[in-house]
Amino acid sequence: MTMALPLSYNWRNLFVRKTTTLLTVLVIAAVAGVLTWMWGFAGALRRSLAVAGDPHTLIIIKNGATSESNSAVSIEDYNKLSQLSDIAHDAAGEILQSPEMMVQVSLPRVRDQGRTFANVAVRGVTFAAFKVHRNVRPLGAVFGTGVPEVIVGQAAAQQFDIKIGDTLSLGYGGDRGYKVVGLFSADGGPLESEIWGYLPALMNSYNRTMYSSANLLLTPGTDPQHTVEQIKGPAIQLTAIPEPEYWQSQAAFIRVYLRIAYALVGIMGVAAIFSIANTMFSSVAGRTREIAMLRTIGFGGRQILLGFLIEAVFLALMGGALGCLGCAAWLRFVGSTKDMFGATTFTTLAFQIRLTPMIIAGALLAVSAVGMLGALFPARRAARVQVVAALREP
Amino acid sequence: MTTRYVLWQNLLRNPLRTILTAVAFALPMAIFVAAISLVSALIEMGKANERQLRLAVHHKTTIVNLLPEAVRRRVEGLDPQHQRLTAVCGMRWFGGKVPDTQNTLTSLAADPDTFPLVYSDADMTPDETAAWNRDRRACVLGFAIAERYRWKSGDRIVLVSTVPPYLQLEFYVAKVMTAKTQANYFYFRRDYLTESLKEALPGLADAASRCNIFWIKCNSAADLHSLQGEIDALFANTPDETKSEDENAFGANFTQAAGDIPGLMRAMAMVVVFVIALVAGNTMMMSFRERTRELAVFKAIGFQSRRVFFIVLAESLLLALLGSLLGVVPVSALLWFFPVRGLGFGPISALEISPFAVIGSLAMAMMIGLAAGLWPAYQAVRLRTVDALRRVA
Repeated sequence: MTMALPLSYNWRNLFVRKTTTLLTVLVIAAVAGVLTWMWGFAGALRRSLAVAGDPHTLIIIKNGATSESNSAVSIEDYNKLSQLSDIAHDAAGEILQSPEMMVQVSLPRVRDQGRTFANVAVRGVTFAAFKVHRNVRPLGAVFGTGVPEVIVGQAAAQQFDIKIGDTLSLGYGGDRGYKVVGLFSADGGPLESEIWGYLPALMNSYNRTMYSSANLLLTPGTDPQHTVEQIKGPAIQLTAIPEPEYWQSQAAFIRVYLRIAYALVGIMGVAAIFSIANTMFSSVAGRTREIAMLRTIGFGGRQILLGFLIEAVFLALMGGALGCLGCAAWLRFVGSTKDMFGATTFTTLAFQIRLTPMIIAGALLAVSAVGMLGALFPARRAARVQVVAALREP
Repeated sequence: MTTRYVLWQNLLRNPLRTILTAVAFALPMAIFVAAISLVSALIEMGKANERQLRLAVHHKTTIVNLLPEAVRRRVEGLDPQHQRLTAVCGMRWFGGKVPDTQNTLTSLAADPDTFPLVYSDADMTPDETAAWNRDRRACVLGFAIAERYRWKSGDRIVLVSTVPPYLQLEFYVAKVMTAKTQANYFYFRRDYLTESLKEALPGLADAASRCNIFWIKCNSAADLHSLQGEIDALFANTPDETKSEDENAFGANFTQAAGDIPGLMRAMAMVVVFVIALVAGNTMMMSFRERTRELAVFKAIGFQSRRVFFIVLAESLLLALLGSLLGVVPVSALLWFFPVRGLGFGPISALEISPFAVIGSLAMAMMIGLAAGLWPAYQAVRLRTVDALRRVA
């Protein structure tokens, strides 16, 4: 049984050729930094859409509409929904059906200093909405019914710089001042990118006589598909979409974006593998005599191979750590917010990109793999050094 | 022993390293040329839009809110002699899609009389304009849409709107626009829409004739800026306050909303330049270190310092050229023959390679090659022959 090479040997080897090590570490750091940012973004998206994942919540829109934004549901049609048998009831026996109106307001983005404007969703709701959208929690005050007041989702407040006490110009002509009286959380879900106000007040301000949509909560244990079919049927003739499906379909643009981004990171990852291979080959070539010496004093080929792999992983981990740090600094000092249109809502979904321990662990794992792949062939060459010939080399 | 021979031997003496460096150089280069193509296409498009001198006037609250038809007359009233503006074209969002498909087309109803003037980049021939004026169902669409649905001039097509009251209308294709800036747009006559809306919603005549946006074709950039301020002032403190933006500022709102892919590409291009520079620098350092003795021998046998400097630098440049060609040529060829279509909505209809990007990428690679080679080349010149010969690698 031969002894393994001490780890400190591999570690200290990296500092023999400081410049080369530094340059390689920086290459890996660049790739790792971009990768962590992408994962942070994808994670924010996944988190947000997963929150809106209650299959027992149905969003009901007009046939032909593609989202709540371009749907108009008459009050007559809305009332037909209350006949549905599977709607859940609250403790007081009220059915959990929420009439909602969706309009938009154009607000300047904080992240480009107001150069561009985002279309932010304004949702008129009644108090039933807080029972149907179970993850929505007001943080503090809620809008009153007799006064023009709104509450703002946390994500929207952050990305469009809205504070309690601000007045937003809403209404069809943008001439009705609505005071922001509170914020609300939706566990990070898409509703957090919205502004909520009292439905009758907003309908009046926007000259609307119809709702945009109805949101229903179904009794647990019932089959949502059954109700979807019922709503589609001749008696009602509306389109019902389970909440998870609705929001997943809104992520279409974001998926295109992420696909492009991942393809780019993948290509750079391969480039990093070649770069590490290059560095490690050079390291092996420069240390042929040293390797032969190690073999002479009893280290086996396997130990040598393993030694070089470990060295490459050290190298990669340094780069990975630096990349994560760089990404964290970027998010901290340059900006961590991003917002994108839903595919058909014409309103924006705001995200906060965050580095989670999972993402950091994933990135370190990925760069370790890159390091190993890059070091594989150089390490094999090292393990096969011909001892006698190598010792004779200059 | 010619310099060329030395250079060639240097690249071939460690073919593995040359290959690894070239590939590590080529992959980011491939990204770079694609990213720069996109960015340069955007710049080109921005310039093309600027030349069109169009001002967008929409509702201040949001573009979704409709403005009364009368905005057109009032804007025209600002310049009755048409000294500053050529024409005003009101537009209303239709959001049509082919029945039973998913994708909503960027389809808008436009004032029939002024559309050919305001959209001179639609490039309509007198015959096409005549067809547009003659047939109330005439539509004009961009080549990207035409390709996707295999539509051509003279076709009869049907779109169903995704906004209330979800009209289904039939159109006659009067023209396929070839301008890149209009690749993904579909325009038809607003009188056709207004009448159809009035039929579907009797009693809502005012709502049926409203517009989302008014495009104002100006005579000069100065006129555009002066009108921008005057129009917003004209409607200030009315129930329909406006916001006026030039076409590029207007478009930027949507580019951002689609996730800012150009921004992603710009950022990627920067990271990639950083990576390439590191890869090239690393190789040149390694290569120099291993050959210190050899360079000393060159000097000992009488090579001038200048020639040694040149040999090291030229090797770096050659390597950069090799790596960049390996990355740029295949990607350019691929994108040349198969441009990537369907980048989501936004101004760019397809990712195509631009000659500017190819030249720019190669120039960037040469600069990196130069930078990577300079330090080792300088070191080679400074090398003290006696010390270096004694040094053990």
